[in-house]
Amino acid sequence: MSDGVLAPLLLTLKVALVTTLVIVPLGALAGLLLARRRFAGVSVVETLLALPLVLPPTAVGYMLLRLLARDGPLGVKQLRFDLDLLLTWKGAVLAAAVMSLPLVARTARVAFEEVDPRLETMARTLGLGPLRTFFEITLPLARRGLLAAALLGFARALGEFGATVIVAGNIPGRTQTLALAIFSDLQAGDDRRALWLVGITVALAFAAVYAVEGLLRRRPRFA
Amino acid sequence: MIDIDLILPLEPFTLAVSWRTDERALGVFGPSGAGKTSLLEAIAGLRPGVRGHIRVGGRTWQDSASGFRLPTEERGVGYVPQDALLFPHKDVRANLLTGARRARQGRGARIDPERVLEILELRGRESAPVTALSGGERQRVALGRALCAGPELLLLDEPLGGLDLPLRRRILPYLLRVEREFGVPTIVVTHDAAEVRLLSHEAIVIENGRVVARGRPDDLFLGGEMLARRGAGGHTNILRGRVLVISDATASVDAGGGVVVSVPVSSGLVRGQDAAVLIGAEELIVAVESPHGLSAQNIVPGVVRDLIGEHPASVAVTVDVACSPTPLVAAVTPQACSRLGLASGRPIYLVWKTHACRAIASGPASSHKEIA
Repeated sequence: MSDGVLAPLLLTLKVALVTTLVIVPLGALAGLLLARRRFAGVSVVETLLALPLVLPPTAVGYMLLRLLARDGPLGVKQLRFDLDLLLTWKGAVLAAAVMSLPLVARTARVAFEEVDPRLETMARTLGLGPLRTFFEITLPLARRGLLAAALLGFARALGEFGATVIVAGNIPGRTQTLALAIFSDLQAGDDRRALWLVGITVALAFAAVYAVEGLLRRRPRFA
Repeated sequence: MIDIDLILPLEPFTLAVSWRTDERALGVFGPSGAGKTSLLEAIAGLRPGVRGHIRVGGRTWQDSASGFRLPTEERGVGYVPQDALLFPHKDVRANLLTGARRARQGRGARIDPERVLEILELRGRESAPVTALSGGERQRVALGRALCAGPELLLLDEPLGGLDLPLRRRILPYLLRVEREFGVPTIVVTHDAAEVRLLSHEAIVIENGRVVARGRPDDLFLGGEMLARRGAGGHTNILRGRVLVISDATASVDAGGGVVVSVPVSSGLVRGQDAAVLIGAEELIVAVESPHGLSAQNIVPGVVRDLIGEHPASVAVTVDVACSPTPLVAAVTPQACSRLGLASGRPIYLVWKTHACRAIASGPASSHKEIA
């Protein structure tokens, strides 16, 4: 394995891992709200949340870019300080997070929907408040689905390209993830490294999706 | 003990129950869909839209006049639903201890989980996953879990409803034992009249959301009107007595009045113990002469009190016997009634086989108190 492979691999793992850590709580919260609360505008929230699944990633990347640009709503001028996301690995995290969140939220929603709400009711009759009921009953019962959600989010983040290239750029050693490196190699005609990188991404994605399938297939038996 | 006056709009009727009593063992009886479960859920604070007041043991749980409503988790209820609803990710012990924190802080009964394991005969099953339990064990764990949370009021919603009749009769002694051991005020909802009579001292009958009758369960279910309406078919007679002798397959129960009943041996039955003998009205044979040469072990003389016969298939013949303060009910076809010339005041014999009845332990094994 040439040295040129290790850097994008480590960066990709870092970006995907941090992305997962960021979006799992958010996605779980969104999933929980969608699964348990009946509020006006549920379908609007659902649709907004699903948009990144169907929009061209470049469109999402462009919107993020406009948002974070110097004179954008989240730019230096507006906030009076620099979020320092553009052209950094943190920008890659942001791009991957926005693109992966829908997958995590939808999977988390299903995970929470499979928890019988009557079990939560039962916990409340036993004196557990809403918060303890969540942590003692709902969360443990949804854990497999949530783990699957996290893995799916991780896998999606591994391969993010379109939004990442716009927000974080394609800077070798700084923001060049596997997906971006493959594109660069293809353009530069470095087939040897491209093949290596493709092999690694396939292996990573396979492992993650395989684990997800296993988690979702072997459902906990409900009593 | 409880002081309830509540109104809850339901579809297609409105539940309106007013009930104030000092009795601690309460029953709610009625057909399915009558609003029984809604009543328990309203008491537990699980139903929005309840108007009126709910006071339990002198403490107000809800009072819509002042806009006060205690959340479910602070009410101190112990809820046992028909389908147990055990937490599938916890083992038996963890299920039992789910509400233990409230038990330590609350004002409800202080109940030692070890004692619960003992009484409900769950010892040895503490670390079993709840998915490995039998139906009867699941209900016992659900009951134990409610007890361990230190409830001020136990709400049993068809606690045996998901079980078949033989199993229900096997679990019933546990409920009686819990009532006796822990003395937690209880409301039991059931559509089994025998359960109401065994488990409660006062009951209400609900139909379409309204209380149509209220009183001592024995009076309720042996009243002519109730028998006429329900027919003798599903009626279960209850004799109360004490176990005299236990042999290999049969036991004898002294039911008082010089009557000793032969019953099949059932688990948990101990010599000297108070027991209730359950006999279905259909199992009773009526003879107008003293029968002899029968294999049936139980022949009890009595006097016909009344024939209640609005039901076309069977007449409910109520019979006064020396061994019971309440009459026994035999389901007899109208043809047999006229052939035998059954009429009020006629001396007869009630006959049933040992295996047509079942004895349920209803008192402590070492009871020496006189039979009531």
